[in-house]
Parts: sequence; C-alpha cells; structure tokens
Amino acid sequence: MRARAERIGLLALPGLSFLAVVYALPLFMLLLKSFQIDGQFSVAEYVTFFTDSYNLSVLWRTLRVALLTTLLALIIAYPTAIVMARTKGIWLSVFLVAMVLPMSVGVVVKAFAWTILFRTRGVLNDTLLSLGITEAPIRMLFTETALIIGAANVFLPFMVLPIYAVLRQLDQRLPEAASSLGATPVFRFMNVTLPLSLPGVVAGSAFTFSLAISMYVIPSLIVGERQQTLSMLTARSFLYLRNEALGATISSILLIIAISVVLGSSWLASRLGARS
Amino acid sequence: MQGAEAPEPGPQRYLDVTGVGKAFRGTTVMSDMDFRVSKGELVSLLGPSGCGKTTLLRIIAGLTPTDAGDVLLDGHAITRLPAHKRNISVVFQSYALFPHLTVAENVAFGLRAHGMAKGDTGGKVAEALALVRMTDFADRPVSALSGGQQQRVAVARALIVDPVLLLLDEPFSALDRKLRETMQVELKSLLRARDMTAIFVTHDQDEAMGVSDRIAVMNAGRIEQFAAPSDLYALPASAFVMDFVGLSTRLHGTVATSQNNKITVETTHGVVKAHGALTTGTRVILGVRPELIRTEGGENSLEVTLADAMVLGSKTQLHGQAEDPDRLLCELPGMNSGFGSGDRVTFGWDVADTLVYEASA
Repeated sequence: MRARAERIGLLALPGLSFLAVVYALPLFMLLLKSFQIDGQFSVAEYVTFFTDSYNLSVLWRTLRVALLTTLLALIIAYPTAIVMARTKGIWLSVFLVAMVLPMSVGVVVKAFAWTILFRTRGVLNDTLLSLGITEAPIRMLFTETALIIGAANVFLPFMVLPIYAVLRQLDQRLPEAASSLGATPVFRFMNVTLPLSLPGVVAGSAFTFSLAISMYVIPSLIVGERQQTLSMLTARSFLYLRNEALGATISSILLIIAISVVLGSSWLASRLGARS
Repeated sequence: MQGAEAPEPGPQRYLDVTGVGKAFRGTTVMSDMDFRVSKGELVSLLGPSGCGKTTLLRIIAGLTPTDAGDVLLDGHAITRLPAHKRNISVVFQSYALFPHLTVAENVAFGLRAHGMAKGDTGGKVAEALALVRMTDFADRPVSALSGGQQQRVAVARALIVDPVLLLLDEPFSALDRKLRETMQVELKSLLRARDMTAIFVTHDQDEAMGVSDRIAVMNAGRIEQFAAPSDLYALPASAFVMDFVGLSTRLHGTVATSQNNKITVETTHGVVKAHGALTTGTRVILGVRPELIRTEGGENSLEVTLADAMVLGSKTQLHGQAEDPDRLLCELPGMNSGFGSGDRVTFGWDVADTLVYEASA
C-alpha cells in the first residue's frame, strides 16, 4: 500500500517540476537579487524603499485598494452565493454562466467598455445630466473608486464560487434544526450559516486579495500612471527606470505579502475546518 | 367551532391536525389529513418511504408549509406560525448537530436562541447532558462522537428548550441493531419521565411497536389505521396494515358462499371459512397471523407442501409453497419442529382468526 501511494505521488512530478522551473526558480532568483548590491548581501534596497515617502504611499494605496476590492467583492458575492446555493436546474446554470462567461472577456476589453460608460462625456454622465440629477459631469474615470469597482467586478467570480461551493454543501437540516430550537432567521444566519460558510469566505477573500494586490492591467487602464500601485511601480522600475534592484525589491515585497495572505488564510481555513 | 363540531374537551386533542393537504410540483402527497395526539402520548407514524409521514412531521414542525387545513396545538392554530415560534423540537435522522460547536454548545443552542446569555446556560446544559449521560463529553467536538452519542446529544439539545412537542424523524435508523434497541428503551423512559408528547417517524414496525402508545400506519398520503400496537397487530384495518405490521399467511380468493355473516372463500390452496357479510363473487384477501396456525386440522385446514423450515432461535417458521402474492406461513415456538422442506403439513386455524379484506381492483 505504501509503495503504491508513493508511486501515485509520481503523478504530481510533471506539475511540480513545471512549477519549479517557471515559478519557484525565477522568483527565488528575484528574491536573491533584491538582497544583493554588487554581489554583496545587503538590505539597502529595502531601506531605500521603506524610507521613500512616495514608495510608502504606493504601498499603502496598493494595500488599501486590494482590501477595499476584497470587501466590495465579498459584500456583493455573499448574497449572490446564498441565492445560487438555493437555486437548482436551469437557473443555476444561468448563474454559473453569468459568473464564468465574463472571465473569458479580456480585462482590456472590459476596461475600454468601462471607459465608454464612465468617461466625462460617457453614457453614465450623459444620462445623469439629461435627467437633471447632476449639473456638471462627474469625474469617474481615473479615480480610486473606479479602480475598486472595476477590480471587484473582474474578481467577483473568485469570491462567489468558493462561498457558493461551501454553502451548497451545507446540510439543510442544520438551519432547520436551529429554527426548531427557536432561532430567528437572523440568529440562525449569524450562528449557523455564517460560521459554517467562513471557510468559503476565507478562500474567496484570499483569492481576491492576492489577485487585487498584484493587478497591473486594470489600474493601468482605469487610473493610469497618475496613481501608481506596486505592480505598476515594479514594471516601471524594470522597463523604464532600468532599476532592476528596485524592481526586484518591490516584487519581493509583493511576493511576501501574497505568501503571507495564502499561508494566513490556509491556517485560518484549517482552524475553522478543524472545528467542523 | 360551534354546534356538533365543537372540539372534545380534555386531553383528547393536544395536537390536532385537520384537513391538511400538500402537493409538491402538482403531485398531491397528502389530502384532507386528520391526525390527533393526546398530551403525553408517544405516537409513531409508520409507513413505507414516500407515504407522506415525513411530510406530515415537517408540516407539524413548521418546516414545510401546508396547502390546506390547520394544525392546532393545545387549542391554538399554529398553521401559519414559523418554525422558530412553535417551540416544537425536531430530532433529525442525521441528528443535524452543529459541526462547528462542541457538545455543550450544541445543547446550549436553544437556550441562546431564546435570548439566554452564553454565561447563564451552564446549569441547564449540565442538567440536560446528565439526563442523557453525556456529561463527560461536554467539551468534545461533535465529530468525535459515535452514532449513539450523537443521538443522545441531539435529544438533550431538543429537550433543553422544554418543547411542547418532540418530533423524531427516523431517530434510530443510523444505529446498528443492538444499540438501536438499547436507545429505544432509554429514550422511551426518558420521554415518559418528562411526560413528553412525542411523534416518531419510522418505516420500521419493530421500532414503532417498541416505542409507541399508538401507531398511525400511513400509505400513499393517508392514515390507514391509528391504533395501539396490539390492536394493529390483532385487527389490522386493511390488507396493507396486515402486510406492513407483522407477518401473516395471505391468500387471495373469491367468495363462494355467503350466509349469516359467514362466508367460504375459494383459494388456489383450498376452501377457507371466515366471518363476513360479503356477497358471492367478491374478490378478497385472507390473512392469518402465523402464530395462530397449528400443524394439525382445525376449523380451517389446508394441506401444504413446505418450501422451507427456518429455525430462528426462539421460534421456527414454516414456509409453505405458494405463488406470489399468496403466502403460507406458520410460526411454531422452539427450535425442534421436526419438519423439513418437502414435507406435507396440515395448516389449521380457527374461523375467528381469519382476517378478510375486500381486494381493491
């Protein structure tokens, strides 16, 4: 049995070696680079990064945008997932297609579509003006709010699907037992449905946050160069400033944040899972 | 609520289900259902799967809305009341313990749902756990419990809120046979001691016989008979009840003569005499409980070729050769009947012990 299990483990070898060559190795080299100046070990690049107020403002904005994107996506996704978990047949298919299909449309296409909608003389502003709701066009594009709304839109499926999967598996007898014991719908949701769906919330949030913190195309198209994020700063360092050390440092910081989120969430999920 | 239809006084009508109907997706599963339970009674809803017993339970609990009719509890209509306002506890087949809570937290759930602060539940929880002998397991996660332990926790959790009615949906079916019998005895005495009114849903006749004062045998959305277990066995109201509750010899035939409430019935195994006022030519089903049959001539006698003699420890079953749906079955006490398959045996029994039902269609 043991030998058999080990042989089955061999099936993971192609995947593992692929990841090792195209993922782990380059990232490790990048990490190494960020701690080197002229071949010597140094944390100078990190010191430089963290003492520059502009860099710090970019870091702070990146974290803030990722956090608010995750929050917005969660607020929209949770009720959607509840409805989907209770839906069967054709309507469930409609929901799933509606969730997955937009992912096949490139982010660039979506972003330009938003531009038509949100720009100063765009559809939305024109409508608001003609209805007399606003006096002058509102600036919507190139704002952090637009970025958060756009990012939440793109990443929504990554939040909805894990929560839906957990809620779907929830034994319907549990909320029924709660009701028969005198629990109001609110008490029942807070004490049964919500805690049991937390693993899905954690997984969805980790997905969304990881994606949002390293997004590049969406902020480039929606807010442009004016408000940089860490990913944009990294690209600029490599492509325009030719400052590989800075680029490597910022990449490593992003990497560390992403790894912490993944480790933290899986720790949280296993803790939540261990109780159930 | 007036005139001749005024409710009977007293404990007769604690739970009063009247005229309840239910359809799922256009398919009627129950119509004009009447079902009454007295206070302190332990009642079973017994029937095959799909007979509507679980639907009736869920309607009483408020987990499934009714299409028609009313549910009254202690004289008050609760038909439109949501489940959480009924104070009717349910023990589910799977027990439905909350997997994210410990044993004690599960038991405390109902108290907290009724607004008791977390810190104040300790005393009542300890009391409830002691009642089901689960005190030592208070801080365990429920996933670490065996089936029998989970059932005890589910019962403690259901009883802690002092329900006006306890509903149990196939509560023993997840347990193995030995444990099932132990738990039945335990639960029954627990409910008796608290004067609890309880309704069991089950498809197992032994279970229903064991735990209930009265059994409602259900078939295709109707109650065929609602009676004490002994009455149900001795005088089944229909061929369905006779078949569902206990074993029997069963013969299909046609009434040949009918006189003074006495009939003779022509069957493929011979002529059988019975009491009844059916007209000649009526298709009937005859039944005899197997322990009422002797292996000697009687008022009714049939010559039978044995297909098998099954020794079941305390008794021996003699199966006669018969074409389905007919069945020839005799039960003798002890292990040494002296019969074997292929033997010619006389099955004899009294006319008064012959059950007669008009065959439907």
